[in-house]
Amino acid sequence: MSTTVEQPPAAEAPMEPERHGPVAWLTTTDHKKIGIMYCVTAFAFFLVGGALADMIRTELAEPGRQVVSTQTYNTLFTIHGTVMIFLFVAPFGAGLANYLIPLQIGAPDMAFPRLNALSYWFFVGGGALVLLSSFASAGGGAAMGWTAYTPLSEARMSPGVGPDLWILGIALVAIATLLTGVNILTTVFLLRAPGMTMWRLPIFTWNMVVTALLGLVAFPPAVAAFALLLVDRRLGGHAFDPLGGGDPVIYQHLFWFLGHPEVYILILPVFGVVTEIIPVFSRKPLFGYAGFVLATLAIGALSTGVWAHHMFTTGAVDNPFFSAMTLLIAVPTGVKFFNWIGSMWQGKIRMAVPMLFAVGFMANFLIGGVTGVMLASPPIDFQVADSYFLVAHFHYTMMGGAVFGIFAAIYFWHPKMTGRMLSERLGRLVFALLFVGFNLTFWPQFVVGMRGMPRRIVDYATGLGFDTPNLVSTIGAGVLTLGVLVFLFDVWHARRHPVLAGDDPWGGYSLEWATTSPPPERNFAALPKIRSERPAFDLHHPDVKP
Amino acid sequence: MSRRGGRILGAGALGLATSACSSSFGMPRGGSEQGQEIFRLWQIFTFAGIAVAAIVYGLIGWSLIRYRRRKTDAPDALGRQFHANVPLEVVYTAIPVVIVVALFAVSFRGEERVGDLAADPAVTLHAEAFAWGWRFTYGGSGATVVSDPSGEDVDGPTIELPRGGTTRVILTSNDVIHAFWVPGFLFKRDAIPGRTTSFDITPTDTASFRGVCAEFCGLNHAYMTFTINVVEPDVFDAWVASQPSLGPEAP
Repeated sequence: MSTTVEQPPAAEAPMEPERHGPVAWLTTTDHKKIGIMYCVTAFAFFLVGGALADMIRTELAEPGRQVVSTQTYNTLFTIHGTVMIFLFVAPFGAGLANYLIPLQIGAPDMAFPRLNALSYWFFVGGGALVLLSSFASAGGGAAMGWTAYTPLSEARMSPGVGPDLWILGIALVAIATLLTGVNILTTVFLLRAPGMTMWRLPIFTWNMVVTALLGLVAFPPAVAAFALLLVDRRLGGHAFDPLGGGDPVIYQHLFWFLGHPEVYILILPVFGVVTEIIPVFSRKPLFGYAGFVLATLAIGALSTGVWAHHMFTTGAVDNPFFSAMTLLIAVPTGVKFFNWIGSMWQGKIRMAVPMLFAVGFMANFLIGGVTGVMLASPPIDFQVADSYFLVAHFHYTMMGGAVFGIFAAIYFWHPKMTGRMLSERLGRLVFALLFVGFNLTFWPQFVVGMRGMPRRIVDYATGLGFDTPNLVSTIGAGVLTLGVLVFLFDVWHARRHPVLAGDDPWGGYSLEWATTSPPPERNFAALPKIRSERPAFDLHHPDVKP
Repeated sequence: MSRRGGRILGAGALGLATSACSSSFGMPRGGSEQGQEIFRLWQIFTFAGIAVAAIVYGLIGWSLIRYRRRKTDAPDALGRQFHANVPLEVVYTAIPVVIVVALFAVSFRGEERVGDLAADPAVTLHAEAFAWGWRFTYGGSGATVVSDPSGEDVDGPTIELPRGGTTRVILTSNDVIHAFWVPGFLFKRDAIPGRTTSFDITPTDTASFRGVCAEFCGLNHAYMTFTINVVEPDVFDAWVASQPSLGPEAP
């Protein structure tokens, strides 16, 4: 066995004594603590967004208006969308990146630890403002949809303070994303351990590099749009208001120039997660590493050229161009599916809970991808855009895809982060409830969408074929909620009745599995020699040629 | 697999494919020429999607079953340690490229037909969306139908269109963005303040079609409905003549 070890340079730096307790957490600049705080905070926002979704589903269970007022309903779906996209899925990816990237590349911390803490607190502040914008604001909460289309979001149509707080909150979250992006890129480009070349970088880290680049490209125009909207609303501007000569279509361009790369900002970290998990549980290397990295870069590049497919029904954009770009982006996504299948092929697949969620991710995301190809055809959008078909499509990518990947990540890395295993039995139950609940909730929404049910409506008429699917959908939301509650019990149970994980419970591949669980403050006492993209595997299997 | 089993499976697959080709997959078939064009595209895309999904699900399912770890395997048993297969990777990149290029071609032609504007439409209908209702004005006679102020218990306006004739709809909005959507025609277009947009509808079925606003537009968005009754041309002419002319004479 090769016993060559190299001291990471930072291990020689003088160490501060490690502090414990809430003050230590609140003032920390340690990437692992910040990463965990990001993930926990983001998950708390998931619970908030989920509670809002349950209220939406309760209202829609049957025709008529029963539970909430129309204005309240409009706020519910506005905040639900905003919270899930900007405050849960994206920050959860940032949290995983914070925790994992220094470990995976063999670094002691992120490049800019204080900037990292600042990102986290901007995110918390922005999230608090978004929550305030819902129901705690004078003159009406934000109720213009998470897209905040003008002129509906202009002051004359939405006069309350809510939309202003919403804009400021999103702007803070956007700044947090930009700072994190700069931090990730600097860390990966400058702090890799000796031997960790870019072509040996773990796939999760590779995907976070592309995610960070996309954030730097996509967020500034949207922040500019939100700033102009604020000027319109409070300082007498007319950038997007046709009454003053402004153009609401320009707002849509700027918004979707963020909005579409944003869905890849949400899904690329999850692609990274499942690409770490599938080979480990198949006991094989990733099939087609180079192809996978190129596909990720291609997705990143193409995703900046597809934004106006959200505007096919405006009649104001070049539909064929954006249709072609959107169809093309299906190709690198398809390549990833073949990478995953190739990684399972001739393996010894162990169906532990992280792998179950990774398979659930593939099963759901495939439907999201196939319906995405349908939506790339403008005439098909003429029927299904802004219908429940679209709602079902993006929940198959974002909930069935991203959220299942996030659960896979939690079950995979919880032992590393805490040193304790989550329950295999409870985990299987969580998976079953979430998988059944998810499909029960969202499959019927394809059906009602085709039958003509628009999104964002508080009420629907009976006799249109909407009743039964909506009831099924609401029942599914109940099953989903139960699954999340069992998950919370699982986490609580692991705290109360710890089952120690050891350093490497899964036979992991990347460097985080070559240190203790949880890792020490500076991450590594000693680094193994890095000879391939699987240094921890090489350490335990010196007989296998990398 | 036995030869007989293979034959049964083959026949089954053929039957499934045939029924899939004629299936609507839950989509209305379209009560207008443009809607039927969109419906055909929908069928092609859905069929392609189901075929691709079946192959991918099959490969995933096969891997999970065939290559599962068995009780007889050692706890630290490894799979075969191969990393890549470049020819295979080129093939599985090239095939999706071919598929999406073909889909783009049919979609492009379909959109040209759907978006085609007739040189001489039989009817011109000015549709103006407002929060939260519709104002429909017929070109020529100036016959006008306007929503009552909307709300939970208010029915939207009802208008008529002639079967077999092409109606040019000229759409705009006078406040926020709305969208004119008739699910039975498989068609919607956004109504954007400060802009007008035109499209043609050529109804083929005499029936009643429900219309809704599809772009979220504020408080009573859910109740911003209308109804289009498609009738024979002579019935239509009589109906238009009986409507009050409220708006200015439109061309």
